[in-house]
Amino acid sequence: MIGEIDLFGVYLPPLLVWALIAQALGIGVRRLMAAAGLYRYVWHRPLFDFSVLIILTGLVSLAMNRLF
Amino acid sequence: MTTASLPFRLLATLVVLLAAALVASQLWDYYMDAPWTRDGRVRADVVDLAPDVSGPVVQVFVHDNQVVHEGDKLFQIDPARFTLAVQQAQAAVDRTRAAMQQAKSDAARYAAVSNNAASGLSRDQASATAQEAEAEYNLALANLGVAELNQRRSTVYASVNGVITNFSMRPGDYVTAGKPVLAIVDSDSFYVDAYLEETKMRGISPGDAAKITLMQGGPAITGHVSGIAAGIADVERTPTSATLLADVNPTFTWVRLAARIPVRVELDHVPDGVKLVAGMTCTVSITPRDTGNGQAAQ
Repeated sequence: MIGEIDLFGVYLPPLLVWALIAQALGIGVRRLMAAAGLYRYVWHRPLFDFSVLIILTGLVSLAMNRLF
Repeated sequence: MTTASLPFRLLATLVVLLAAALVASQLWDYYMDAPWTRDGRVRADVVDLAPDVSGPVVQVFVHDNQVVHEGDKLFQIDPARFTLAVQQAQAAVDRTRAAMQQAKSDAARYAAVSNNAASGLSRDQASATAQEAEAEYNLALANLGVAELNQRRSTVYASVNGVITNFSMRPGDYVTAGKPVLAIVDSDSFYVDAYLEETKMRGISPGDAAKITLMQGGPAITGHVSGIAAGIADVERTPTSATLLADVNPTFTWVRLAARIPVRVELDHVPDGVKLVAGMTCTVSITPRDTGNGQAAQ
């Protein structure tokens, strides 16, 4: 979706909203990875988490573009 | 819990980082280069209606915001003066007709008598007088036509289908020929001007599909690009300066604002219930026909 999201008169760029959704999903992903012990295979954890966040943002954007 | 070997961990992290970089560049292309703007305006052609004759208004047939159709009566300028003018012109026609008939019959008589009774000079004079009288008559006829035209024009009609806007005329107002007194927003002429940033102009051409969302919300309006402006005013340059030399604004070198170029979008389908008002703000998203910008996110 290209355009804007109307939040009670404040217009937000969709990408910001998608990034916030991705952040929420990212918390879940991090918990899951920590629980499964997958961070053993990761060299630099903050860098990895940041990358995952960007990929999730892309996925959310893709999903939203399909939906709207 | 043992950790994997360092090369493996490095590789795994870098692969994910690379994927993230690709996604980020795609997102940037999609959201930053896609040809869309929130700076769209609904526009319409506005007729500045002016009366063709001057005079006091005696009757107003319409009110503000009224829908009018082409040929509807709008207001009436006091016709008394124009009726009198027609009578005057009619009288002049009658007078010059009589004079013309007289002059013609004189000329015919001069032409008929023998050369002894009338000189060539007086014959020529009579002929010229007859021609002059005929010209006077034709002039009077034309004046009558003008007087009748003025009389007809004292009633002002709508020239297009549309809505009367910002109208506050009352009987007694004096209107002057050529001075606009009334605006009709042509309801057949609604279109959208999308003020696109110049950085988003690539790949746009007439015929591209456009989606218009009004700021008030509601269903989207579909349209297509019908044209791109060929020029905009240069805001960095003052058009006239006292010294006759170019007056160019000093701008920041590293911070530059993209100029907005008007792209005209004709409306293809306006959903029922959507009421367009010239001047409304809207978001316009254009889909270029060729591949590339704005087609797919990933």
